[in-house]
Amino acid sequence: MQFILLQAVFLPLLLSPVAYLLGKKFGPNMSAWFSFGLLLYCTTIMITSVFSGTYEEHYRWTQLFGEFGLLLDGLASPFAIIIYVVSTVMVLFSKPYMIAKITLQFEERANSQKQLIGGGTMIESSSLKNYVNNQIGAYFALFLVMAMGMLGTVLATNLIEFYVFFEVMLIPAFFMIAFWGYEAKRRVALLFFFWTHVGAVILLLGFLAIGLNAGSFNFADIKEHGIPQNILALAAVGIIIGLGVKMAAFVVHIWLPHVYRAAPTPLNALSSGAMLGVGAYGFFRLLIMLLPGEYSHFALFLNLWGLATMMYGGIMALVQDDIRKLFAYSSISQMGYIIFGIGSASALGLSGAEMMFVSHSLGKVLLFMMVGAIVLQVGTRSITKMGGLAGKMPITAVCAMIGALTIMGVPPTSGFMAEWTMFYGVLQTAIQQGSTIRMIAFGLGLVATVITMAYVLWMIKRVFFGKLPENLENTKEANWYVTGPMMVLAGFTVVIGIYPDIFFNQIVPFMKGLVGV
Amino acid sequence: MAVGSFEFGLSANALNAWAVWILPFVAAVVIPGVAKFSKKATNGVAVAFALASAISATTLLPLALGNNEIHNQIPWISSIGLKAGVLADPLAALMSNVVAWVSFLIFVYSTGYMKGDKDITRFWFWMAFFVGSMQLIVLSDNFLQLFFGWEGVGLASYALVGFWYKDKKKDHVGIEGRRVLGLVDYYSPTHSGIKAFIMTKVGDIMMLAGMFLIFAFAGTFGFRELTENTAWATTMSAQHLLIPAAVLLFGGAIGKSAQFPLNEWLLEAMTGPTAVSALIHAATMVKAGVFLVARLAPLFFALAAIGINMDQFFEVVAWVGAITAFLLATQGMVHPEIKKVLAYSTGSQIGYMMMALGVAGLSRQFVDGYTAGFFHLISHAMFKASLFMAAGSLLHIVGSRFMTDMGGLRKYMKKTYAFMWAAGLGLMGAPFITTGFWSKDAIFAAVYESGNTWALPIFVLALITAVMTTFYTTRMIGMVFFGNKSKHVEEMEKEGYHIHEASPSMWIPYGILAVLTIGIGVVGLAFEHQIHDIFTEYLASAFGIKSDMANVAKESQSVLGGFLEGVNPVALVSSLSAFAIGFGLGYIFYIGRFVDSTKFVNSNIFFYAIHKFFLNRWYLNALIYWGFVVAPLYFARGVYRYFENIVIEGFNLVPEKTMAGGARIMQATQTGISQSYLYVFGAGILIVVLLLLI
Repeated sequence: MQFILLQAVFLPLLLSPVAYLLGKKFGPNMSAWFSFGLLLYCTTIMITSVFSGTYEEHYRWTQLFGEFGLLLDGLASPFAIIIYVVSTVMVLFSKPYMIAKITLQFEERANSQKQLIGGGTMIESSSLKNYVNNQIGAYFALFLVMAMGMLGTVLATNLIEFYVFFEVMLIPAFFMIAFWGYEAKRRVALLFFFWTHVGAVILLLGFLAIGLNAGSFNFADIKEHGIPQNILALAAVGIIIGLGVKMAAFVVHIWLPHVYRAAPTPLNALSSGAMLGVGAYGFFRLLIMLLPGEYSHFALFLNLWGLATMMYGGIMALVQDDIRKLFAYSSISQMGYIIFGIGSASALGLSGAEMMFVSHSLGKVLLFMMVGAIVLQVGTRSITKMGGLAGKMPITAVCAMIGALTIMGVPPTSGFMAEWTMFYGVLQTAIQQGSTIRMIAFGLGLVATVITMAYVLWMIKRVFFGKLPENLENTKEANWYVTGPMMVLAGFTVVIGIYPDIFFNQIVPFMKGLVGV
Repeated sequence: MAVGSFEFGLSANALNAWAVWILPFVAAVVIPGVAKFSKKATNGVAVAFALASAISATTLLPLALGNNEIHNQIPWISSIGLKAGVLADPLAALMSNVVAWVSFLIFVYSTGYMKGDKDITRFWFWMAFFVGSMQLIVLSDNFLQLFFGWEGVGLASYALVGFWYKDKKKDHVGIEGRRVLGLVDYYSPTHSGIKAFIMTKVGDIMMLAGMFLIFAFAGTFGFRELTENTAWATTMSAQHLLIPAAVLLFGGAIGKSAQFPLNEWLLEAMTGPTAVSALIHAATMVKAGVFLVARLAPLFFALAAIGINMDQFFEVVAWVGAITAFLLATQGMVHPEIKKVLAYSTGSQIGYMMMALGVAGLSRQFVDGYTAGFFHLISHAMFKASLFMAAGSLLHIVGSRFMTDMGGLRKYMKKTYAFMWAAGLGLMGAPFITTGFWSKDAIFAAVYESGNTWALPIFVLALITAVMTTFYTTRMIGMVFFGNKSKHVEEMEKEGYHIHEASPSMWIPYGILAVLTIGIGVVGLAFEHQIHDIFTEYLASAFGIKSDMANVAKESQSVLGGFLEGVNPVALVSSLSAFAIGFGLGYIFYIGRFVDSTKFVNSNIFFYAIHKFFLNRWYLNALIYWGFVVAPLYFARGVYRYFENIVIEGFNLVPEKTMAGGARIMQATQTGISQSYLYVFGAGILIVVLLLLI
């Protein structure tokens, strides 16, 4: 079969208007199930193409930038699979959440109009229905474009192609925040766009520096030694900063808590579970593979930067009351883990870092679904107003607990498989290089896992355990659009935790080839 | 040489060894399904699986007796070249039997204890998971797989300690309103669950670091591989990394087994259902640490053969054990909650086991200390499980965790009273008839004979601990069963409730264990010799640790003949006198009640201060909270308020204000007045023309 990856990437883009029209004409169910079916199809064909090993497609593009390729190798496939699996699952979860959110906005608008006009207007139920249909159609259309952008980035074989996809995924996210966000949503949407765009532009400068000097933008044609040393260093710095902003590493992380507070929960899940990881992918593809010499210079720096991020994010997460902000800082901390692993300069450490992305996605998406379920059922985001919900929402509680264990890195979840390989990689390099700094970083990294454990367990305790507040007496379990996807992901993380070869078989040989062991 | 049957690929001969740990996990998976049909049926399913696992474990016993082993591996993470496997050598075979049978009895007990609890499904899930994880630790053939079980027991303890997640008042531990150094000494179940999980995690990360260090040099996690090729040890020792790695691994055991300085979680773990406490203390969790040391100690000791001295490691083990034994025994003497007294005693007894294993590595006769430690593990499993279950019955009947709310119960609960005496005598080490006596005596002898420079101080600590152990056990029994009925009981009776014996499903399990404590105790010396023989052969064949036969011969000509042949006279006299002093004091205060203990403590500022010091847990708990909970939280809040919200947030404001300012300037130019546009237009043309001219 041909055009598999082309289909997987562009079908969602081409058919996104259909999702909108279906929503507008027939309502949320049609639109959601259409998007679900579409993404499921794309995910399936992509996964089947992974079985035969490395898979690539090349198409002619412009003379100026080189060819347009889509590559699914040991590095890209875990990212691609997770991005689409998470997107597919999130479609279902989005449906009840977005209906509730849009209805709420409709009522708010109606109320404000009522106040303006003086309380005379009747609101017809049909206008609510139209409003919801219209909006949810737009939501799923944007959702599909975003999924396409993320997948395209990890499959790209060309710097310019990478950049284009990298920017494409920001646009739907921007609109999603601006349309369906909370509180200062427009301001935050701009803020989000500003930060990620600045990051992307810095990245682009790095790309241009490489591409123009190497004479080609194709990954395969770029050779490090063909580029002057001073330009190389600048390009590497550009790439590191650009991706650091994207991953919300320490110091340039500030956009993320704002965005997570304002964005609708499905977008949070998607962005934490998939979009941030694209930054991690960038480190592998752009820094380690394209500029291995520069990578070896910057590896220790990345290691320590990751350490600072994981510690800082964890400490900040400890003191949050808004549950979304807590997970925002938790995401920062988890991205720190990945950067920490990327800086390990060892095959197992890098494999662990990639596995960390897989595991973080599953875990964090589970936890964000929990947040969504709670926002839907309870209507509050303040942790102090929750408590004792385990008795009322048992399935959500169990799935959230599995997600929490994944984040904490407790076996038998995928988190442990990611963490042990990653930490071992860091230690291995420390021993090989006889580096005391790396040794200390390893120790502090382990301490950071305790911090992670503390904030996660404390959160779970305050949300699910203890005394049930009286006003939550009538809380019910979320419907199966929410719990179904949660159970699927929870099962997935346990399966990977026990049998990690599902991904390791792809990742480890690739990383070994990369580091040259 | 042992007839090692090593096979790769799942082998039919090894199925029983696999079944021991897989069956409980199967039970955990099946139980929620069964509960869909009938909640009551979960009891039967759980007990049946526990029995099946125990029977599988029993089929491993011939391995121990014949010094055989089953070693079977299957592929696991093939991309990194790691295999999963079971290793049922004599050590694992004995241990898995202790775990399986004690947990089976606890399961039976739980059917009575948890009767009518609506969360019974969750209870059984985690109980089965707990036992499965423990058996996984015991039967794993490599570190990584062991770590799965290791974290599994941590997870299960978290879930079970916080089982009553609604945090009702009656499920708390500690005295409400009591403060130590400004912090409340009163904990809810969910808080305690987190405390247990995080404190043991601190040990776990040390263990991970140790594991990784060894893996980095040896390239394998396998215990057998590490024994067979010891080149890794030579390299590590040359780089001075071997002792740190070994001590880091021991850190894991410190956490799990609640040894000093990570001991404080064990007390709060009493918020769980008593069946859980029994399981944690007798069969799983805290024994995991001892087992890990038992797994590793011969490996490290055998390195002496290639000229690597591991004394520092064994000194750490011995001292941590000795300090913990002493520290926790002092606190056990003063606490009013019955489960807490038992918890302190567990920590203290585990300290004994660690001490024995540590001393084993410091002495010429490794097998003596090794046997003593393991024998104590077995006898402790029996009497402590029995005591906990009996305490659970008391809690059930009286409805209070405080011993001051009991009193005078011996007339009403005759069976529990008798069994508690039997098991209690085991804990005290009552001479000649209890397992506890023989195992403790073996530890004393091992320490005394080790000939190490530290032997004397450790021996003295052990002896004082023994006195205290006997005292607090007597105190417990005295406070619960003797004297007059407490006000609490009288009030209950006024309300029409009458104190009665526990149901058979509850008293039979602890009865069996109590009887075994005495039954095996009567033939204790022979039992010990049997274990000694098994381990002598095992250590010689698997690790090449030869026993010093000349020494054994000399020993057998000891001063004591006949029944007590081979027993060290100094150890014997010491343990006899420790028992006599402790029991005597306990009798005076709590059974005979010749002196009122409260008045006695308050009579003298010195006694008062000591009492308060012990009751406040040597202030260790409070200091840990200040240092690792309160202070970091203050720090985090400070950083959030002053750094994140001001400095980092400032990065946002700069572009935001610049953009807004820029927009305002641009806005100002859009005046909408045609005249000003014309002027600017004209000026522009002028400039262009000028530029062209120049």
